[in-house]
Amino acid sequence: MSDLALLTIENAIATVTLNRPDARNALSPELLEALLARFDELAQRADANVCIIRGAGKAFCAGMDLKRILDDATAIANLLKSIAELTLKVRTLPIPVIAQVHGAAIGGGCGLTCVCDFAITHAEAKIGYPEVDLGVCPAVVAPWLILRVGAGQARRILLQGGTLSGARAYELGLVTQLTPADELENTVMSLAERLAKAGPGAISATKTWLNQLEGGETLAQQVRQGAIISAEVASSTEAQERLRAAFSR
Amino acid sequence: MPTCGARRMIRLDHQTIDGARIAIITLDRHEKRNALTPDMLENIKLCADHVHEEQPHPRALVLAGAGDVFCAGFDLSLCRDDDLMMSALLTRLAETIRTLRRLPIPVVASAHGGAIAGGCALLCGADIVITNATAKLGYPVVRLGVSPAVTSPLLRAAVGQARTRERLLDPQLIDGAEALRISLAHECLDRADDVFPRAVAVAASLAAKPRHAIAVTKRWLNQLDGSYEDETLDRALNASLALAGSEEERERLAALWTN
Repeated sequence: MSDLALLTIENAIATVTLNRPDARNALSPELLEALLARFDELAQRADANVCIIRGAGKAFCAGMDLKRILDDATAIANLLKSIAELTLKVRTLPIPVIAQVHGAAIGGGCGLTCVCDFAITHAEAKIGYPEVDLGVCPAVVAPWLILRVGAGQARRILLQGGTLSGARAYELGLVTQLTPADELENTVMSLAERLAKAGPGAISATKTWLNQLEGGETLAQQVRQGAIISAEVASSTEAQERLRAAFSR
Repeated sequence: MPTCGARRMIRLDHQTIDGARIAIITLDRHEKRNALTPDMLENIKLCADHVHEEQPHPRALVLAGAGDVFCAGFDLSLCRDDDLMMSALLTRLAETIRTLRRLPIPVVASAHGGAIAGGCALLCGADIVITNATAKLGYPVVRLGVSPAVTSPLLRAAVGQARTRERLLDPQLIDGAEALRISLAHECLDRADDVFPRAVAVAASLAAKPRHAIAVTKRWLNQLDGSYEDETLDRALNASLALAGSEEERERLAALWTN
């Protein structure tokens, strides 16, 4: 199996690593395929009570990687579909998931942050959704962001684009905890250990119930519909021009 | 100029900032703290419709108020001798908020000084709300036997279930800093005079962004947060209309004139 995404399980704590550090873990079709496979594998494992998602290298995740597929509307649609399915898989995993966000979580990477039950970062991290600045619509991640920060704040964050500091993201509730950068790994691990020691049945039942309360199938439909909307906009002339200009920089 | 420009009390202006054109709708009745009449609400709606259709397209809209406060709410003096006035005001308010929310361009509310009752409800039509720390915001209308239910679906989308309950049932006003804390506002400035220039700057930055991406993103957010759910919005309006002209309301409004 591809080593673009890694899965380890130790002491009931699973760690999924985005392992494409040379591209700041940008979500390429291949990385997404590897991540989907790792989460399928994890869903079958009975020896994990909690999952940490982290990124290798300097940043958690730089967002979706459209560079190589810009001319291919079908590939763009498939990429967005994969991101939608990945968020749904993470959300429906019957164990709690913690995003360990260092450096940056941009666009789809920020979507991945929002879908985790917990997200821990440091004050200087760059977090956000600059999609509109590139002519792209962050439709897949919008439902997850709304659940995190409320529709009113989501409106502002998505329409204004750009990025926020980790500190500001914490104030808005986009991440659940802030810690000094050099303590990030330890902070995440102590939360993971706490969660791993709790009753796995109780944790799982509670997470499943919370998923049902927030919309379950309706939400899944919205996320999938979001992928179609995002793909349409990403293939528009406006987006293509902006993206080409950004890639040529 | 559109019909709305011919009438007084609502002004439609335009500015072009770094090549991006923005429209500004101003409540212009400062001697009455921009208290809303049915005509004013209708004119805001007409101006917004015009902004939607005019060429070249404005790419963002600012909703502002002249004078010391953004808007003190309905002009209740109109209800004094007219039993149907409250219903007219509520119905027009609901239409105006819907029109603002459904514009394909971002709407920035410049809510300096105060946004009270119907004025606070207007903020629910905006995408971004800017206010100042000492501004007064809220829905004191239950004191008058009037129900602010009309605003509830979009207020709930903005501030959540629990805070909507608190704000609509408790007639107490909150200040701008608290409005920021509960997400009724997105930015809170120290000085009231800085609110309008900041709203224009935010609108200009939104106007410079790719038009299609902004329009689709706003439409999707509207879909996700219930802004297109006419049935729910109508039920909220009807909950307010059901009390319009009630004995309680008439007694309490009458007390305003005798005090």
